Amino acid sequence: MSQKRSELLLVVEDDARISNFLSYALAQEGFPVLTSDTAQGALSLLVSQPVDLMLLDLGLPDADGMDVIKRVREWSELPIIVVSARDQDREKAAALDAGADDYLTKPFSATELMARIRVAIRHLYRESSGRHQAVAEVGGLKIDLDRRLVFLEDAEVHLTPMEYSLLAVLFQNIGKVLTTGALIRELYGPGYGNDTQALRTLMAGLRRKVEANPAKPRYILTEIGVGYRLVDE
Amino acid sequence: MKKTGLNGGDIFRSVLVLMLFLSAATGVGLVFRSIGFNVVNVVIVYILSVLLTARFTRGYAYGIVASLAATVTFNFFFTEPHYSLSVNDPSNFITFAVMTVTAVITSALTSKVKQSASMAQEKEAETIALFRLTNRLTDAGSLEDIADIASNAVSELLGCNARLLRSDGNGKQQDSSLPQNDVRGLLPPETDGEKKKSRSLKQSPREPADGCHEMPVRSRDALHGVLCIPKNVRMNDSQTRLIHSMMESTAMAMDRLRSVQDRIKATEAATQERYRGNLLRAISHDLRTPLASIMGMAEMLANMPPEDDPRHSLAEDIYKETNWLHSLVQNILNLTRLRDGAMNLSRQMVPVEEVVGGAVNHVGRLTGREIIVEAPDEVLFAPMDAGLIEQVLVNLLDNAVKHTPPWEEIRISVRRDDEKRFARILVSDRGSGILTEDLPNIFQMFYTASARRSDASRGMGLGLTICAAIVEAHGGTIQARNRADGHGAEFEFTLPLEEKHEPETK
Repeated sequence: MSQKRSELLLVVEDDARISNFLSYALAQEGFPVLTSDTAQGALSLLVSQPVDLMLLDLGLPDADGMDVIKRVREWSELPIIVVSARDQDREKAAALDAGADDYLTKPFSATELMARIRVAIRHLYRESSGRHQAVAEVGGLKIDLDRRLVFLEDAEVHLTPMEYSLLAVLFQNIGKVLTTGALIRELYGPGYGNDTQALRTLMAGLRRKVEANPAKPRYILTEIGVGYRLVDE
Repeated sequence: MKKTGLNGGDIFRSVLVLMLFLSAATGVGLVFRSIGFNVVNVVIVYILSVLLTARFTRGYAYGIVASLAATVTFNFFFTEPHYSLSVNDPSNFITFAVMTVTAVITSALTSKVKQSASMAQEKEAETIALFRLTNRLTDAGSLEDIADIASNAVSELLGCNARLLRSDGNGKQQDSSLPQNDVRGLLPPETDGEKKKSRSLKQSPREPADGCHEMPVRSRDALHGVLCIPKNVRMNDSQTRLIHSMMESTAMAMDRLRSVQDRIKATEAATQERYRGNLLRAISHDLRTPLASIMGMAEMLANMPPEDDPRHSLAEDIYKETNWLHSLVQNILNLTRLRDGAMNLSRQMVPVEEVVGGAVNHVGRLTGREIIVEAPDEVLFAPMDAGLIEQVLVNLLDNAVKHTPPWEEIRISVRRDDEKRFARILVSDRGSGILTEDLPNIFQMFYTASARRSDASRGMGLGLTICAAIVEAHGGTIQARNRADGHGAEFEFTLPLEEKHEPETK
């Protein structure tokens, strides 16, 4: 058993086996865990308990998980990781756009899950500390948000303003999947529609500057059919 | 029913009518004279009698005869000297002339009005007959019903036994007025070269020697059958026209019914296909949840004992087996998605390097294998359903990983073909290669390589089939071959870089 953690996790899952396995795996990592097998139960636990992170199955008996995400987002920025057997890209993107922080398709490995939880918790602290991070880095890739500079292995990389904006958005959401829709809204403003080709061209350009092999990226991963993620570890 | 030509009875009746009206007019005239009325009034009475004669006889002839007869009779009875054809006052000739002309015109007009009225009646009868037919056709539920209704209507109209020989979809004709099993003996099956019209209907028992008039029941693009009217039935022009119109309505009704039936069939097929797809999806979906728990638990179990403990490798095997089952489920899901129609692919312009990167990352994470990736500096956009193309790459890379020892390299390379129309993606391994006898069938459904190893026999049968189906749905091609530069296999597929504009085939 690893060290005790203080973050309270809520597992919302109607399948008893998955729920058991998740609780056990999380307890192994030292997290205190609450479980609920209904949306209603989950919502009442969220109000009564100081939950720090929620793992949410989309197929619940009493409500669609999507509605749970939307309702929680009305009053809370609580990190939500969706764990679902639905693997349609459309649904992943919809859950992320509705406010979920991450999405795991069943089956997934426990290692993968733990990695995502760690990312979400780090985010939680980063955001709650409220401290503006001037410099962020992952591996050999570093961004200086105040001076608008990017370094790769300590050598400055020259990016176009759009490429810089894209990388900055990814750094601000490090470890999280950003849907193509969300990125387009962020970079080109609302009303640009859903023309992903401009974004993909921009991404290909950016990868040619920060990745050693753009077809085997190390920093900016593609979540196919959903969006992009800047790795966090 | 209208008869053309005159016969004896008709003439006799008409002459009788003529005589009757003329005598009546003469009688009224004599009464007028005895009362002391002006003779002019009698002229009017005679004209009235001519008019009535024309009204109650057929054709112009009687009217004209009646006009002349009326003038002569008037002269005989009512002009000085009475009861003689001679005339004292020459001015009477003017009276005669005017009277004759007036009578002739009156009778002609009356006949004409009568004729138009009877024509209108005929037209109305036609319209009613057509309307009734159309009404009944609308209610018909099958092609047999339509044929029956049409042949009954024609039979009623002509008072004969008309039949409608239906040609079904196969070009065979069926007799609407005979029970189905009789037809086979009567009508020889049509051979290919034979024209439908030329089919002999001589064998039909109801028309042994005569044969019949044939009238095609035809819509714009199909011959639905032939209307058969016994030869001995005579039809006038308007009847022929009417029957033509009726057959047009019949053809339209058959067209409509056929298209409705086709639509129903297509809908049924689509529904069935959808049911099957939904069933498979539901099964796959329900398999995924337990697979997720098994995989998760096996993974945790494997991490509990030290690595040299046999329980570690047992748990790891459980994990691997479950993972294999999972990829099978994933492939079945994608196959059903593909079967739902190539049209439903959600195609977007995506750089090939993105899917390659995604698939390499996925396989690398799951298997821990290093994969060498080569891609051109130029960004190759191709229209694709990225999720499905990722599945192709994952299947090919999984296959390569499975057959390549850990110390040998697996390589994936992307390049553009020389004509700049395709992206070519090559996955090559350093495994044991593919047996020559397996090469032609390797992409076929459920083909598994001839059992060299128990492992291989379970292997990639479905996975490669799905690769081929996905690539073909994108308008590309896929090939498997052994490497020319030594041992190992390579799989290469192409993706068109442009949207295809030609119609998609399912």
